[in-house]
Amino acid sequence: MAVLEMNQINKTFGSGHKKVDALKKTDFQAERGELIAVIGPSGSGKSTFLTIAGGLLSPTSGDIFINEKNIASLNEKELSKVRLKEIGFILQASNLIPFLTVDKQMKLLDKVKKDNMNKQELEQLYDDLGIADLRNKYPSDLSGGERQRVAIAKALYSNPSIILADEPTASLDSDRAYEVMQLLKNETKNKKTTTIVVTHDIRLVEYCDKVYKMVDGVLKLQEQNG
Amino acid sequence: MFLAWNEIQKNKLRFTLIIGVLMLVAYLVFFLSGLANGLASLNREAVDKWDASAIVLTEESDKSLVASTMTIDEAEAMNADETAVLGQINTIARTDDQKANISLFGIREDEFIMPEVSEGEGFSADNEVIASDTIKEDGFALGDELELSSTDEKLTIVGFTEDARFNAAPVLYGDLATFQRVKFGEAAEANKDQINGVVVRTDDIAAITDNSELEAIESETFIENLPGYTAQSLTLNFMIYFLFGISSVIVAIFLYVLTVQKISMFGVMKAQGIPSGYLARSVVAQTFILAAIGVAIGLILTLVTGAFLPAAVPVAFAIPTMLIYGVVLVAVAVIGAVFSVLTIVKIDPLKAIGG
Repeated sequence: MAVLEMNQINKTFGSGHKKVDALKKTDFQAERGELIAVIGPSGSGKSTFLTIAGGLLSPTSGDIFINEKNIASLNEKELSKVRLKEIGFILQASNLIPFLTVDKQMKLLDKVKKDNMNKQELEQLYDDLGIADLRNKYPSDLSGGERQRVAIAKALYSNPSIILADEPTASLDSDRAYEVMQLLKNETKNKKTTTIVVTHDIRLVEYCDKVYKMVDGVLKLQEQNG
Repeated sequence: MFLAWNEIQKNKLRFTLIIGVLMLVAYLVFFLSGLANGLASLNREAVDKWDASAIVLTEESDKSLVASTMTIDEAEAMNADETAVLGQINTIARTDDQKANISLFGIREDEFIMPEVSEGEGFSADNEVIASDTIKEDGFALGDELELSSTDEKLTIVGFTEDARFNAAPVLYGDLATFQRVKFGEAAEANKDQINGVVVRTDDIAAITDNSELEAIESETFIENLPGYTAQSLTLNFMIYFLFGISSVIVAIFLYVLTVQKISMFGVMKAQGIPSGYLARSVVAQTFILAAIGVAIGLILTLVTGAFLPAAVPVAFAIPTMLIYGVVLVAVAVIGAVFSVLTIVKIDPLKAIGG
């Protein structure tokens, strides 16, 4: 059973002469425990792909299933619930709240959603990510790599089915970037989640099970490791 | 509350400034209300002291006590539970070195407007009076003999009573005969049935009199028609109402600026699926916290200031009124948060993550 399935997704922006087909007849499937990379130059439509997969944007046509539920025609309020329950975002600019400590970033999710990690699981997650000592620090006190690890923790904390990462290594040097990818891979395997990483950094693909390439709105499976 | 409180704790300086502004507005509102109240009691204390339902004056006096003249016979024809005749004249009282504007009330000792004596004793002989204790601030004391500007009669202060000012002047209470001697001089005997009005206690004001030359006026209406009273209280109350509006706008602007700064943060939270409602409630909760703290400090500051003010400043704090104003201030501040709430609801999470 696919966790995320897209059937013949089209997304068009604008109309008339300014019409842009950002996604064309896109089919995509992701299973549990898979780490998938979507690569492509900027403007190729990979951000559109990510926002549709993440329920931030509705497709012009086509169906998209998250855990067999079609979300293509949901309204913003319903989509918001799907995002809260099913999706963990790791964004390019770190998505941490500046005035909350690391611990409280997690606690915020407890305020709006049930079935998050329990205490032991969170401790384990902190240990895995090596951020246990940072729990009482504010984002402004953290380095770029630390912030990104906290962002990963936050994305995983709500036990999502799918983790969507938009250029998660963009602000990191190579060593840190590899480290973050390794962490993502470990967590994907341990938690049996599905992680989709959108990046233009070709070096990261070696960590991924599948690599898709996006060219001018067309998504193609490029490589299947293992 | 969670987001609201944590943000306040992290950005103490920023929020202290907002609280400071709210506190100053609250301080001003409370102070003005104290002043409005103080000036009002300056005018009406003596009337409130009667605890009466109405006063009967002549129709042609146009609700002015001093302009009304009637006879005791007319007064006795009233249909009411309790009545008290009242003569009144404004004059200047002086001792050798003090001078004060006073209002002399001529009353009967056994009727209900006879004031309670807080110091000294009641009047028993001719020309003895009980004075408002505020006259002590002008330097008058028990036993002082007062010369009056309009007559050769001299009055002696034999007692003091609290809360007795009428139209900004301290009241002297004397016997009806004393009043008539002051008012009519030599002709006092001929005018011994002349009074200004009748104060009544009754449940049915309309039934008090059927004499077409007389008019029964409710106490509150009578007070509103005291010279300058309505103009003064309207002015101060207008200022207070404007301040409510102003504080709402100030809060709206502050919060809006803060919210605009945080648009991308709110967008990220919305992208994560945190409901707009939660974020909106958090902004409202934050406003509530800030306004409540600001108003509370403003209230304390007002009371502290009041305690140190010289007695000449006519402030009198009515705690229930102040509490109502405080609640209104918090409420209008929360209304000011509405713009920010609308902004948050409209934020497109997609823009926030640069999609």
